[in-house]
Amino acid sequence: MKEIDELNLPGDVYYSPEHEWARKEGETVKVGISDYAQDQLGDIVFVELPDVGAILEKGEEFGTLESVKAVSEIYAPLSGEVVAVNKTLVDAPELLNEDPYDNWIIELRPSVEDEYDELLSRDDYLALLQG
Amino acid sequence: MTTEKTAVRKTVLFDWHLANHATMAEFGGYQMPLWYPSGAKHEHRTVLTGVGLFDTSHMGVLTVAGEAAWSLLQHCFSRDLRTCIGIKPGPLTPGRCVYGLFLRENGTVLDDAIISQLGPERYLVVVNSGMGPIVREHLLLHANGPVDVADRSGRIGKIDVQGPAAALVLEGLLGDPDKVLSDMIYFSCKGDVEEGPTAVLLRDKTPILLSRTGYTGEFGFEIYLPAAATVSVWEQLLAAGRNREIAACGLASRDSLRTGAVLPLSHQDIGDWLFQNTPWSFVLPWDETGQRFSKSFIGAEGLSAARDKSYTYPFAGYDPRKIPVTDKTVVLDRHEVAIGTVLTCTTDMGIDRVGEQIVSIVSPESAGRPADFLARGLSCGFVKTNRPCVAGEQVRLTDGKRSVPVEIRRDIRPDRTARRSMREMRNQEMRGETR
Repeated sequence: MKEIDELNLPGDVYYSPEHEWARKEGETVKVGISDYAQDQLGDIVFVELPDVGAILEKGEEFGTLESVKAVSEIYAPLSGEVVAVNKTLVDAPELLNEDPYDNWIIELRPSVEDEYDELLSRDDYLALLQG
Repeated sequence: MTTEKTAVRKTVLFDWHLANHATMAEFGGYQMPLWYPSGAKHEHRTVLTGVGLFDTSHMGVLTVAGEAAWSLLQHCFSRDLRTCIGIKPGPLTPGRCVYGLFLRENGTVLDDAIISQLGPERYLVVVNSGMGPIVREHLLLHANGPVDVADRSGRIGKIDVQGPAAALVLEGLLGDPDKVLSDMIYFSCKGDVEEGPTAVLLRDKTPILLSRTGYTGEFGFEIYLPAAATVSVWEQLLAAGRNREIAACGLASRDSLRTGAVLPLSHQDIGDWLFQNTPWSFVLPWDETGQRFSKSFIGAEGLSAARDKSYTYPFAGYDPRKIPVTDKTVVLDRHEVAIGTVLTCTTDMGIDRVGEQIVSIVSPESAGRPADFLARGLSCGFVKTNRPCVAGEQVRLTDGKRSVPVEIRRDIRPDRTARRSMREMRNQEMRGETR
């Protein structure tokens, strides 16, 4: 397991307390899981994705990740409509372990303006992990 | 009242695990590795194709010795020591090992164990982590003659060397590999946990007890050795395997390998319910009729008087999807009737379905493995039901949120190597079959 200072926590994404990240790309936001989350889960063997068009509320469960030992829910870091899902993860879930920031899970069109700004910065998230 | 916590124990390999960045967790009162940075999937597959090392120094180890040792074990253990070895069953003898259970009077499982006979009146009893004192107390309670039951837990190191290349790696450490290995059949042992004329010596003169048993369903060995020598031997094994596929393995791959091999996890797949109608009923001392027990033993009356029937079955899914095992997790039959609970649900990462057939990454192509086979893994585990099921029956596991269709199976992971001949496994290298 990685020490806190070994975690890859890029500054160009924002984080949720549930260990998802969000990155604004124009009108939409890509969503994935943090390096901390993938490290805690271990080998991810299955990813269950939502349907394109699904309407999510902030904090709503939108899919599951299965690692060797556990089944974990993934929660929407902000409200919006799912406009795309990363289907490459269906056949290659291990990509989330290999590079959790390049391999996004869903793409959302946000429906609540301020929610993105309420997410945690890198420093805030690091402070949360450090307890 | 004090609130002092019991200290979590460490095996002698604890510092090695930390130095090699293992993800650690508490298990059975010990801090143990779950997996190392290469991941549980890699570790699981390495045991199928190469060799994996498991630190099992947390297991409980007892020695039972003396005039009354045999009668004590015969009374407390679920195997009939007169008829537990071989196809035409013969007695447990020095150099042989047997798997079985210690049951409570009511027929529930206290623990499972492997007993190795070391000498005429001397046995090694290996139980699960933290169970050494409990099983020792259980044995002493039933002793009826001169017998010494000593709990060696923590003082004996233990390393499991598992996988098709296990003998080839072990050869590099043994002082006289041909003498030790050549005639070692499945569930046999050589050496002792104490120095003496019967000891098997490594090249560095470390005395070991070597048994051809294991955790995983694959070909391999368990090495018992003085605790102080454990780290050195562990590193020597890794060095001996450096030109092969070798991996240190944690508890996650132990669980997935065991489940895929239809081996129970103690206190999870067998535990505080009657031991009956299980895939492991061969550990009960049935007589030739298969209707009665061939001896009286602790738990026999409880089992015979049992009225509440339950049934344990292995299952395999159709993809890697699992179900969390909680109080809400149930088994539904095809009429949506709840018929039981889930005991274990994990993923065997070395198998997948080709059509309806389950194939392993090590299955020969002649057994149906496509040349370009890439196993995604299959969920598998054990259910406990309130009615009999048949192999092939489709059931559904659900926790109320998700639903996973699975199939009741007799077996899960094909082409396991545990029982292959020593000659075949030692000759693999010449044929280039291990990496």
